[in-house]
Amino acid sequence: MKNVFALLITLGAAGPVLAQGPAADLLTGRLPAEAAAQIRAIAAQASARDLPATPLVQKAIEGAAKGIAPARIVAAVQTLADQLASAAGAIHNGGVLLPDSASVEAGAFALTVGLNTAQVRILAHAAGSNAQRATALRVAGTLTALGVPADQTVDLVTHSLDSTVDLNSLSGRVQAGMAHGQSAAAAAAGISHGGRPTTTNPHRPATPRGGSRKP
Amino acid sequence: MREFHPLVKRWLDGELPADQLDAELAAELAEARALLAAIDRAPVTLAPELEQRVMAAVRKRPATRWHRAWRWIGEAHDLRLRVRPWAVAALAAAAMLVIWLAPARQVRGPAAVAQAPESVYVKFVLYAPGAHQVSVAGTFNGWDTHATPLARAGTQGVWAATLSLPAGQHLYAFVVDGQRWVADPTAPGVDDGFGRRNSILAVTPHGARVS
Repeated sequence: MKNVFALLITLGAAGPVLAQGPAADLLTGRLPAEAAAQIRAIAAQASARDLPATPLVQKAIEGAAKGIAPARIVAAVQTLADQLASAAGAIHNGGVLLPDSASVEAGAFALTVGLNTAQVRILAHAAGSNAQRATALRVAGTLTALGVPADQTVDLVTHSLDSTVDLNSLSGRVQAGMAHGQSAAAAAAGISHGGRPTTTNPHRPATPRGGSRKP
Repeated sequence: MREFHPLVKRWLDGELPADQLDAELAAELAEARALLAAIDRAPVTLAPELEQRVMAAVRKRPATRWHRAWRWIGEAHDLRLRVRPWAVAALAAAAMLVIWLAPARQVRGPAAVAQAPESVYVKFVLYAPGAHQVSVAGTFNGWDTHATPLARAGTQGVWAATLSLPAGQHLYAFVVDGQRWVADPTAPGVDDGFGRRNSILAVTPHGARVS
């Protein structure tokens, strides 16, 4: 039993260390040492909270490539870390016991473009699997980025989850409508009214969905 | 080794009778005669068990099929070929049948051949008439401004590059003349956290989409 506890403690301690591993090494030479150390610390903290650290390192690399001042890069990385934490919390509140990295990253993206945590929670709750959850959050973020109002986006995506509509096709269809002069909202409404199928997706499990939800 | 006079050598070879040799070569001739006399001219007989031992050793190492085949290939053979008209017609018909029944080879472009199962080829296009150099940088190439240059695409001011991208969401921007970051005007954008915009691209196994 002692060995099991020792293993668990070791694995728990290894998380933050791994966050400073190969991905964090990419910062060397791209940023001043002090800024790189700050970002490694943020990444380690995120990893300790079971949040994905890779997007944080990638954001720092992006900032360095764009010639952004180090202090501003650190601030942007911290903001992203906060968004990842908010997204993970919202997904958790949506009934997912252990949110996966892809869903958390997609949730943070959705928050970045204008959805709020309540909307992320609704989408997380509506999705049936980790892969579907990540896709729903990502598509919702893109629809909002295209200009579809957040509430309308959540409505469209959740209804699409209940149908056989390919989630990945939604933003393309909105863009097609916009190419014909419609507003993003009008194009999304067109999908809601005309494209909402009446058949239920046979592959979608009945609620309660997913195996990783809270009881 | 003893070297005899050429005339003595000729005598040794039986080309010259001994009486035709000069007297001064008599000593050398005598020496040659003594040498010949020393040679045991008795017929050589081998012990009977020696032949048995040799043959037993030979039988122990018979030539393998490969050795025999190789030997056969190396040997000269007479080859006679008689061509019958009906056999030629039958062979031609069989060849046609094989060609017809063989599965048709699918002609694919280089893009499809090199494509990984979860990757999709995506073409990036930017209209930048005044640019001298354009590249695309994003999450797919570590935001490396030099990794993916665009090439002039025929029409004046149009730059393009085709990439194989893995499935997933990608953020990117164009880099004009190595300094100016430009969002893709044809794709939805998102705040990059630094006061600029990144473009959004999602790649699914079915193709690239803007979602």
